[in-house]
Amino acid sequence: MADDSMRRRKGWTRRRFLQTTGAATAAVAAGSVLGAPGGGMAAAMMPKPRAGARIRLLQWNSFVPQADAEIRRQAKEFGDANNCTVEIETVSGDQLQPRTVAAVAAGNGPDIIQMQYSWPHLYTASTVVVTNEVNYLLGALGKVHPVNEAFTKVRGAWRAIPYCHVPNAWHYRTDYFQKAGVSSFPKTWDELIVVGEKVVKATGKPIAQTIGHAYGDSLTMWNPVLWGFGGQEVDKDGHTVRINSPETDAALQWAIRAAKAGIKWYPEWLDPDNNQAYHADRISATLNGASIYIREVVEFHKFDKVTGVAAMPSGPKGNFAMNLVLNHAVMRWSRDVDTAKAFVLSLMDKTNYSKWLAASRGYNAGAFEAQNNDPVWKTDPKLTVFRDVVTFRGKPVGNWPGWPAAPSKWTTQSQTQFVIADMFAKAVANGDSKAAMADAEAKLKAIYGRP
Amino acid sequence: MNTATQAAQTPRVALRRPRIPFLDREAPLGYLLLAPALLLLVGFLAYPFFIGLWLSVTNAAAGEIWQYVGLANYRFEFLNDRVFLASIWNTFVYTAVTTVFKLALGLFMAVLLNQAFPFQRFVRAALLLPFIIPTVLSTLAWRWMFDPTFSVVNWVITHTGLAVRGVNWFGTPHAAMASMIIVNVWRGAPFYGISFLAGLQVIPVELYEAAKVDGATRRHQFVHITLPMLRPVLLVVLLLSTILTFADFQLPYVLTNGAPYSSSHVLATWAYAQAIQGGSLGVGAAISLVLFPVLSIVTAGVLIALRHD
Repeated sequence: MADDSMRRRKGWTRRRFLQTTGAATAAVAAGSVLGAPGGGMAAAMMPKPRAGARIRLLQWNSFVPQADAEIRRQAKEFGDANNCTVEIETVSGDQLQPRTVAAVAAGNGPDIIQMQYSWPHLYTASTVVVTNEVNYLLGALGKVHPVNEAFTKVRGAWRAIPYCHVPNAWHYRTDYFQKAGVSSFPKTWDELIVVGEKVVKATGKPIAQTIGHAYGDSLTMWNPVLWGFGGQEVDKDGHTVRINSPETDAALQWAIRAAKAGIKWYPEWLDPDNNQAYHADRISATLNGASIYIREVVEFHKFDKVTGVAAMPSGPKGNFAMNLVLNHAVMRWSRDVDTAKAFVLSLMDKTNYSKWLAASRGYNAGAFEAQNNDPVWKTDPKLTVFRDVVTFRGKPVGNWPGWPAAPSKWTTQSQTQFVIADMFAKAVANGDSKAAMADAEAKLKAIYGRP
Repeated sequence: MNTATQAAQTPRVALRRPRIPFLDREAPLGYLLLAPALLLLVGFLAYPFFIGLWLSVTNAAAGEIWQYVGLANYRFEFLNDRVFLASIWNTFVYTAVTTVFKLALGLFMAVLLNQAFPFQRFVRAALLLPFIIPTVLSTLAWRWMFDPTFSVVNWVITHTGLAVRGVNWFGTPHAAMASMIIVNVWRGAPFYGISFLAGLQVIPVELYEAAKVDGATRRHQFVHITLPMLRPVLLVVLLLSTILTFADFQLPYVLTNGAPYSSSHVLATWAYAQAIQGGSLGVGAAISLVLFPVLSIVTAGVLIALRHD
């Protein structure tokens, strides 16, 4: 057992190399396994699923259930084709991390775990290096989005296979905006305050967003606001805390002014709360993944015609965005590492990936260059906004928590403790930006000061 | 065989005890019967406890190799972590306030339920409902009732004219703590009530009759008969409730999870945030063990008081 695990850690053994190259040569001879060209040497080292293997993938419940159904279909298809079994286990987004930690601490559990944000930096030792597989995908699908790369590449080795983004954009009620005399969504944060005041006065329906501990909507809102005003939590060196600055103060003052103008920042909202408020006609705009629009179109049919979608407004220091990012890590305790890798690669197959994107109806965006022009983005003009907040005119968009420092276990801890969102919430609640900044600085120094 | 040999052997035969089968002996049988319970205690209580203790003095992180760091985690938390210090205070406030309310309401409930009235059994059973429903479910329901946009509590407050505006239940630190306390009292009071009711029902009626003959008022009867007779039950319930409330995780996690701005964290939720979400298992273990000495003193005090009874 010890020898096995040692070999697994070291990567390819001679026997596995011969097995896989033999299989891959056959595959290449029969035509590329993946729909896109490329791969070179890496293609010859494609992992081969083992007949009789049984693997399990743990991931969140997508906010678009059809996407999960498509993954399950692909898992069955893969299992039938390779005479193995792939189980898909889904849990709520909040439960994914506790389940992951339990597996990591026990050294046992699902063979593949969906890694959100920078988790590969937290659980590095529990993941298998997938550099060969990612190199293959780079050859086949083109460049990878830099945020996926930052999250999954740890000290030069790929620890997870880049998968997708969950793009966040503003959903707003065009009818309410028109009633307030506003024809389009604001382009700057200052304009948002003016529009927010007009809309709430004219309709009684505020622009609203979480300022609490929502792992998706809160992080993707308040980090870009901070960056838009020039603030940053930590220096590029990854250790020197930089939160206490005039730029951060400007960002906090903006949030305070917005609240005074009638924009609602809810410290108690979790990720589903703004969805519910929007569908229940309680608010006029909110920042969210495409699920609000998609469910209006597919299920509710109440506000789909009057829902507009817009990208993040800009701050004085530029336009910034952040999205929830999902990647797949193959875990070191898996008894069928090759089968697990092969399954993840099959999910990245051009046809399979496109089917999954179609099922998720624009809720997800691709991690690789070749996935940017998927047909799903042509099905509805409103959906293109969700692609544009990930890749705009071929240029990748978005940063990660802790930017400009590279993702690390410290940036991850700051993120999971919601230090930035809490700073904004405290400033809005007390109207004292300096105290909120000092509090955040103390918390960040405690985090980044750890060995 | 000569006479001398016979004399030497006789007392040896006389001293030999009758052979008792192993399972008929009191001590081995006792230990044997005790073993399953002991194994369970060691496996499910002692082992996790000592692992927790060990974790708290290491720099354990999920999936990484640990090193012994002494009291560094404790020192770090007390000197650097503001949320930790606030969560100690919150834990004490949460436990103290809820205990007082649960005690008063439980006692009131028990005295009422001890009277004869129609549908007495049905009412007694119904009052236990909050305690029976899984905490997560009932807390989720309360979360909806306090929700800023859909709050039925605020709807009632504003539509009955009690206030012009509803309360921002999770929007301010005090309101968030109040909401946690309200839900905990709602959930815990029936446990106090039913336990006290059991205690009330074993108090001999003759004591009250004799007191009446002596001219004691109902207040006198309550203070001088009911309360002293309830003392053992009261102490046990207080002890259990204090320990459970100190370590309460489900309710604060589901209801506020620290909102707003990590101001309503209790030690259990902050330990979870550090250990599970932040991956610092050592720090999380230190946070969760910080109140162990305090709880030990409280427990010892109550047990001594019980022994005096």
